[in-house]
Amino acid sequence: MEGAADSDTPVPERSAADRAAALARLLHRDCTRLLELYKEREDFLSQHAPGGERLVTLALCPEAPSTAEQVGHVRSALRRCMELLECLIVREVEEMGEELQGEYESLRKTVKDRLGHLLHSTGALLENGEGGCPPSPPMQCIQGQDEVEASDSFAAKIWTYKVLLELIHWTDSASQTLHVFHTEKHGQQQQQQLL
Amino acid sequence: MQGWVTLALLLSLGVKRSLAQNGLGEPRGLTLNPDLPAQTLSLAWQSDSTLFDLEIFHTEFMNVVLNATVEVQADPVTGLHSWTWHSPLPLECTSHSVRIRARNQQSVSQWSPLQTIPGWDIPEKSYMFPEDKMIPVGSNMTFCCIVNEKEDFKEIKYGRQEMKATRLSRRSYAITVTNQPASDNTGTNVICSSQKFQMLTGTVVFVGYPPGDEGLVCETRDLASAECSWKKGRDTHLRIKQSLTNYTLNGRDCLEANERKTWCSSKMWEENWTLEARNPLGTVQLTDSAQLTDRVHLLAPVNVAAVKVEAWSATLQWSWSVAAYKKLEMVCQLRLFAHELSSTRNYDGPGLSSVVLEGLWPDVDYTVTLRCGSKHSFWKWGDESAPYRIHTKMDRPDALDVWMWMDSSNTGHVFWKPLSVRKSHGALNGYEVSQSSAEEDGRNTVSLPPGNFSYPILLNNSSDVTVAVAARNPAGLSQPSTVTTPAYRADSQLSVSELLGTNGSFVLSWEPNVSASSGYVVEWFPTGCTGLCPIDWKKLPESDRSFTVNSVYTTTACSLCAPLLISDSLVAGVRYTVSVYSLYTSAPTLLQRWQGYSQEMIPSQSVSELSLNQTGSDVLLSWKATEMKQQRGFIRGYTIYLASAAHLDLIANITDPAVQSYRVKGLTLSSYKFVVKAYTSAGEDAGATVAIKMEMDTADMLFVGILVPLGIMFCCIILFSIFFYKKREWVKKAFYPEIPGPKVSGDWSSPRGPLDVKPSPHSLVHIVKNPEWDFTKEGLFPVPEEEEESENDNMEVDTDSDEPALLRYYNQVVGDGSHSNQVSDSSASSTASMGSTQTEITYAGIQSPSSSQGAYSGGGYRPQMQSVTGPAEPQIEFEADFQDDGLNAGYKPQCSWQLDSPEAENFSGSLGSPTSVTSSQFLIPESSEEKPQPSNTWFHNFLSGKS
Repeated sequence: MEGAADSDTPVPERSAADRAAALARLLHRDCTRLLELYKEREDFLSQHAPGGERLVTLALCPEAPSTAEQVGHVRSALRRCMELLECLIVREVEEMGEELQGEYESLRKTVKDRLGHLLHSTGALLENGEGGCPPSPPMQCIQGQDEVEASDSFAAKIWTYKVLLELIHWTDSASQTLHVFHTEKHGQQQQQQLL
Repeated sequence: MQGWVTLALLLSLGVKRSLAQNGLGEPRGLTLNPDLPAQTLSLAWQSDSTLFDLEIFHTEFMNVVLNATVEVQADPVTGLHSWTWHSPLPLECTSHSVRIRARNQQSVSQWSPLQTIPGWDIPEKSYMFPEDKMIPVGSNMTFCCIVNEKEDFKEIKYGRQEMKATRLSRRSYAITVTNQPASDNTGTNVICSSQKFQMLTGTVVFVGYPPGDEGLVCETRDLASAECSWKKGRDTHLRIKQSLTNYTLNGRDCLEANERKTWCSSKMWEENWTLEARNPLGTVQLTDSAQLTDRVHLLAPVNVAAVKVEAWSATLQWSWSVAAYKKLEMVCQLRLFAHELSSTRNYDGPGLSSVVLEGLWPDVDYTVTLRCGSKHSFWKWGDESAPYRIHTKMDRPDALDVWMWMDSSNTGHVFWKPLSVRKSHGALNGYEVSQSSAEEDGRNTVSLPPGNFSYPILLNNSSDVTVAVAARNPAGLSQPSTVTTPAYRADSQLSVSELLGTNGSFVLSWEPNVSASSGYVVEWFPTGCTGLCPIDWKKLPESDRSFTVNSVYTTTACSLCAPLLISDSLVAGVRYTVSVYSLYTSAPTLLQRWQGYSQEMIPSQSVSELSLNQTGSDVLLSWKATEMKQQRGFIRGYTIYLASAAHLDLIANITDPAVQSYRVKGLTLSSYKFVVKAYTSAGEDAGATVAIKMEMDTADMLFVGILVPLGIMFCCIILFSIFFYKKREWVKKAFYPEIPGPKVSGDWSSPRGPLDVKPSPHSLVHIVKNPEWDFTKEGLFPVPEEEEESENDNMEVDTDSDEPALLRYYNQVVGDGSHSNQVSDSSASSTASMGSTQTEITYAGIQSPSSSQGAYSGGGYRPQMQSVTGPAEPQIEFEADFQDDGLNAGYKPQCSWQLDSPEAENFSGSLGSPTSVTSSQFLIPESSEEKPQPSNTWFHNFLSGKS
């Protein structure tokens, strides 16, 4: 009934920033679920949380930037996350083949697709390239793996875990930043309409 | 001091000399060459000896891990002795040191200097070994964890299992896992953690099986190349790319094969095939050998099409995608599906590419599939073609099965059976019925729509009529079927035999008839049916003499032996008339007729018009049988029951169904209920019930109803009179005892006993013997019931009390009513004293207190006092009375009277009298005017025997 009532009420057209924020929230939930699935497979991760360096850090951006700059900042991080995710998929397919097609593999592909959409959406929001951090140097897929003091297979598992953590962190940041961005834009539009 | 030093030097020199003198030189140039992945340590040294003692230590704690004597020959070329040790522990786990000495029986050389290979527990990092090992299921393995310099070791977990670790060195710890189970997809994790519960490092071990493939078979699809397939065996549990199984076929890599695709192809046929499956844990080899012609597996025919389709046949063509098939001697199997039925037909020939399908049915949809194989050295059927649909053309219908049934001498119907799909050869448009007779020229033809299956026949004269019926469809008209009117024979004109059903069917047999040149017809229909009845029939060849009419299905007829079963709807409980006709060129002739039930049932209705007629003590029951339709079986008889409340008692079983009455004899005067049931071979019906109440004749009623009771009454009176006369003394004593007169001094000097006073008719005198209340009531005996009841009527008596309700003395002591009924209040008490009209007498006269005192010590008659009003108060009142009695013994006037008592008005003269007392004794009135006097006197005289 509730849904029926909602469908009857006119829904105002959502702004691009609002849609991007919603997509980021959805992606954040996907990434959280993806990590849960990975921890079900590698159950030692539930008992022993690996420490170590973050994989995605953006130190080049100015501190206390504007919201638009923060969106650009987050987008840069998401772009790096995307590269890491692509590396992760390549490595896992190479190692395990494409025969394994469980929920983890299916959701992994979904996250990749939605992350691509989010990057595209946030790129469209930053029309003038405002807030964009300087382009990061091209990333090597093995980056970060050698930091783990363990066998290759074990190091790869730890690295995968870290990549998923980065995805969760940055999609959460993206959803919050885009929400603020949307709120500000909406306020500005209302002020313009009043004027 | 110098002397001691000199002695020591001499001794040491002596020992060295003795060792040197035994000829065994110390091994030289010991070198260690570790193979870390293989966990082996190769030793090489120079020596002249062949027998050596070896010792290997974990360097840091100098724990001996090997102490062995080995015989090692020198390499003739290099002159080096070499020996390899397989370490159960990864060599990286800690440093290992080795020393060696030569041995000759009991003589040994000096140990070589220790040679050490460093472990990885020296750099300041965490490690775990071995790394990413692949091992077979069931293996044992030792893992070690090298902890960081600043960390404290806590535990090593194998999967989820915490293992017991041993310390190898200051920073190195090891666990040994035995009989390892198969790993999950991504291997088994081994985790090393610190005291802070943080993960230090880890490794992965892949535990699985070697390949288990089996059953290699090679075949050719194109008569040139080969395709080899096999079955996947046991799961290897190895999923990572490096551990997947690799295949080679006759030494050539088979790249298309993997965990799911278990086939491999080769461009050329080779008679011998070897497949090798290899993974890191092992190798398996599969072989197969065969000639190419023995392993032909044809591809599916393509372009299947029907080039010529007729009503009863079709020509099918197809082509082959492999040109080499054209010369191959092959066999093809064609499968036809029509109406959920399928049939297969085989054809053969070289390079077969077309066949003619015979024996099809007109106007039928067929679906055809085709597959072929090599005729010589048949290996297996090839792939099946895609289904192809054929619809055959229509053809004229088959001739109808026609019969004529006469329901009177000049009326009848011609019937025909509907044609099945197989016989109609196309949707029917209708029927044509033509009628002709010998006396009339020409034929009358009538067209009927397809839904009709009968046509009425009317005979205007006595000549036979011949009717021809034909079916029509778009392809044409069927051959006409003719039938000539048979002579009508009602059942009454024939002696109809009774036919017993057997398992729901009729089995018929008849004598052969020489004139039945065209065979016989068996006809059956429900008996008594008229008009358009469900007539059924079966035409039989002249050789048949038996037939079975069944409600199940039709089978074939058989002469002289097996009965024919036909598909009919023989309904259980319905009587059928079954007739056999012989067929000539002219009209059919009735040979025999039966009536019977395929399966008998109990009658659906009870007998009708059940009545009874009483004649004296006999009853005649009579009834009528139910109608034939409700009989549902041949009535075999009747059973008569006498119905009681719970069951039926069989009193007669009439086995002759023609008898429809029964006389029940010798019934007594009572009510009876009779049940009459008809029964067939299936059982009895529900039964009809009739009831009767047997009545007497008038004379009997007079005798029994009047004279007998009178006689009995007289007899009783005489017997009672005699009895009472004989026992008059006892009766007098029991019912009318002698009552002594009262004794009072002077005029009152009558002896103590009942007071001889003239009571008011409704007075009651209570004579109190003892002023003290005697609650125990010892020595009292109960007042007769009649008297008690009369008192209880007016007094509230505690009938639940354990005490006797009312106890009094006769002639001596009479208990006070108010105290016998202690719970009664004053009003009740006074009511009791006044209310009784039977036994209570209130005296208005004055009695002498002295005489009372003389009669009773401190007691005497007590007037009724105003009683207490509550249950707790009688005690207080009682004590007060008691004190009063002590002080003022004698009569006391009643304090108050219950004026609302209805009897109070009648005794207004005595009410308020200070001498009013009550008595419950029998008091003999002096006056003859008193009411009890006459009867009392008469009865007393009677009992006394006085006149």
